[in-house]
Amino acid sequence: MQESRASAMNGPMGAPPASPFVVARGITKSFGGAEALKGVALDIRPGEVHGLVGANGAGKSTLIRILAGLVQPDAGVIEIDGRPAAIETPQRATELGMNFIHQELAFVPGMTVLQNIMLGIPKRSRFGLVDWRSIARDVAPIARRVGITAPMNATVRGLSTAENWLISICRALVRKARLIVMDEPTASLSASESEKLFAIVRDLSASGVAVLYVSHRLNEILDLCHRVTVFRDGRSVQEFDRDGLTRQALVEAIIGGRHAEEPPVRHAAAGRKVALSVLGLTRLPRVKGVSFDLHEGEVLGLGGLVGAGRTEVVRIIYGADLPDGGRMTLDGEPFAPRRPHEAVRRGLGLVPEERRTEGLVLTKSLAFNVGLANLERIVMSPALPFIRGKARANLALETIRALSIKAEGPETPVGKLSGGNQQKVVIGRWIAASPRVLILDEPTRGVDIGARAEIHRLIRGLAARGMAVLVVSSEPEELPDVCDRVFVMVEGRIVRELSGAAVTRAAIVAASYSETHQRELVQG
Amino acid sequence: MSDVTTGSRRLGPGAKKALGIFARYGTIIGLLAMIAAFSFLSPRAFPTVNNFTNVLNQASLAMIIAGGLTLAVTVGELDLSIGFAASLHGILVTGLIVHDGVPIPLAILIVVALGAAIGIVNGFIVTKMKVNSVIATLGVGTIITGAAFAYSAGVPIVAGVPEAFLQLSLGRWLFGIPNNIVIMVFILGALWLLVERTSIGQQIQAVGGNAAAARLAGINVDRIKTLGFVISGMCAALTGILLASRLGSGTTSAADSYLLTAFAAVFLGSATLRDGEFHILGTLVGALIIAFGFNGLNIFGAPTWSQYVFQGAILIIAVGLSSLGRVLAER
Repeated sequence: MQESRASAMNGPMGAPPASPFVVARGITKSFGGAEALKGVALDIRPGEVHGLVGANGAGKSTLIRILAGLVQPDAGVIEIDGRPAAIETPQRATELGMNFIHQELAFVPGMTVLQNIMLGIPKRSRFGLVDWRSIARDVAPIARRVGITAPMNATVRGLSTAENWLISICRALVRKARLIVMDEPTASLSASESEKLFAIVRDLSASGVAVLYVSHRLNEILDLCHRVTVFRDGRSVQEFDRDGLTRQALVEAIIGGRHAEEPPVRHAAAGRKVALSVLGLTRLPRVKGVSFDLHEGEVLGLGGLVGAGRTEVVRIIYGADLPDGGRMTLDGEPFAPRRPHEAVRRGLGLVPEERRTEGLVLTKSLAFNVGLANLERIVMSPALPFIRGKARANLALETIRALSIKAEGPETPVGKLSGGNQQKVVIGRWIAASPRVLILDEPTRGVDIGARAEIHRLIRGLAARGMAVLVVSSEPEELPDVCDRVFVMVEGRIVRELSGAAVTRAAIVAASYSETHQRELVQG
Repeated sequence: MSDVTTGSRRLGPGAKKALGIFARYGTIIGLLAMIAAFSFLSPRAFPTVNNFTNVLNQASLAMIIAGGLTLAVTVGELDLSIGFAASLHGILVTGLIVHDGVPIPLAILIVVALGAAIGIVNGFIVTKMKVNSVIATLGVGTIITGAAFAYSAGVPIVAGVPEAFLQLSLGRWLFGIPNNIVIMVFILGALWLLVERTSIGQQIQAVGGNAAAARLAGINVDRIKTLGFVISGMCAALTGILLASRLGSGTTSAADSYLLTAFAAVFLGSATLRDGEFHILGTLVGALIIAFGFNGLNIFGAPTWSQYVFQGAILIIAVGLSSLGRVLAER
């Protein structure tokens, strides 16, 4: 792991080689045993556009949350203008001159553009009333500078995402920001809107405001940034100057070279019966014509970056959302569930992305949670739907044994189990129900390494029994461990289909960053 | 709620445990303490079989309507229409019997079916039209009040109520147990079985515990929520019928005040034994607290206004205890 620190720097616009505005060193942070940051360093100079890239889970958001005062680091130093700074609250971060613009922009829809710009900023008043007129006079030139075209007294409801970004930037400038952190700014902008944003970013930089630009879109990083820091697995692994900055080098740094891959035996899909067939599935703006076949006895992976539309595809298949277009068949029969319970009745199961909010009833017992998808198995008869306590307990015990869940017994509240064991309960529920098609969305997120390997073994075992399994994962290293084939999605489309020896972490990451919209088939 | 969280985070483990015990058993301890205090202060009037039977008899109607409400809140919705609905049901059942000569059992059946229908309407508005249940049931309740006035022209139906209908509520059963108590025990028993022992009950609890997870586990959440409203509506109908039988008349707004009593009972119940979860047994305890509280106030000749103060205070304390229980359960 090389650690290259550039000293001299010359950006495309000749950004000043001043002493850094923000320096973070040796920052570590754990969340309940999981290390999100294992020692990262980052320095941002006044007026530079600094790129921050890394795969999902590399620790970018955690560092941003620390800078924003939302989370406190376990160790490490943060200096502002060379002086150690404790950023205990978001207010403190603002006082220090740092502003954060997130993907989900925070606005009060019913208030005007001006009121939203001034949200949380002390306002000048006259005779005890807020003096909006004089405030508007002051804000107008700043708004003009960032290119807000909506009138100051229009309500923000109904304004475009792009306009909302401009308002956020304007707010930051009114606060006299010295650093603006932008998290995936172009994720929901059109090409021309993005161009406008780039112009503003360059303008900000020229006027001495630094921008920390976080994005998966490497083209933007290459175009805009003076320097780029790459995070991987909670560490800052490389820092690029303008000179050494190439797409190839970035991708290599993001992937890292240390994962020697030992692929499991991958089964060819050919010759197997198609269980679920998806054709031209569309739900704008996130899903744009997705087609694939899922065979029985196969583990199919759906890879790509967060926001590529994978979860949205899964939700449509499961009947949680309705598609705008496209169709599906299940074992050759038309399949168009309008609600999840319709999908379940047809033989589907879903292990959702967020087990605590979407998977489990936390206050209830393990037996209760496993039983939920298996009620007809534990009642006396359909006409007399009394729960047989013994059957429910046995089902729970079987699940505990089969998945080696660490729990005192069937009556343990699932809220008290560890993350990995909770996940096993959700998976166990569906193993007991043994659906025709099982979908697992981020099956090992927040799960420790041991449990992770077990869950992977379980998934392979289910496929070996003939189940058709669809696995969604943002972690590129997860899919090669469990999948026979992998489809990679970029911006709502499947851009690559990997099978056999071609299913590798590197291939998945490379495809995730690919710009092509033409589907390619890569076989190893 | 986050304030409470940070506040109790500073507590030591001992204090936290004590607080937990208080949150779980506080209501039962309160009930027993109240009974003991009243017995001590009024040894002749209060602790008698007669008085206790009387209290239970009086409380039965509130317990039935509160039992139904328990189902609605268990699926995660509020039903504010029950009091108004019970008033309408009372007028309607007497009207059907007195004016239209409908046989008593059929009249009861019609009114209970109407209660179920109101529940279906509530469920439809909440699940399909996505209207917040507070607004939906308040609106439906107000419309129901209008319907009650339209039906009765605001005049109570008093004359000609047959004795057989009065006996429904005033009669006694085996060992001289009043009918109201028997019916209440039967209804609450059935509701308890439904919620705690059947697969439908598992679904009801899952929807209330985490609707998103229940949905993704394959449960028809909309149907279960509607079922909660339907049972709530049917219990309101039963309470309305029994009240009309007890009063011997159908009177507009007669049962309106049951709304507040039912809510107080249900929230007191959720602070009982289980951490902030609604359940039938808890509702029973909650209703007993209110019933004995009123009884005590009556025996000591407390003025009418104090009963309102008591009920309002109980409701606030109940919700406070309930959320305290939930906060403690979440750590």
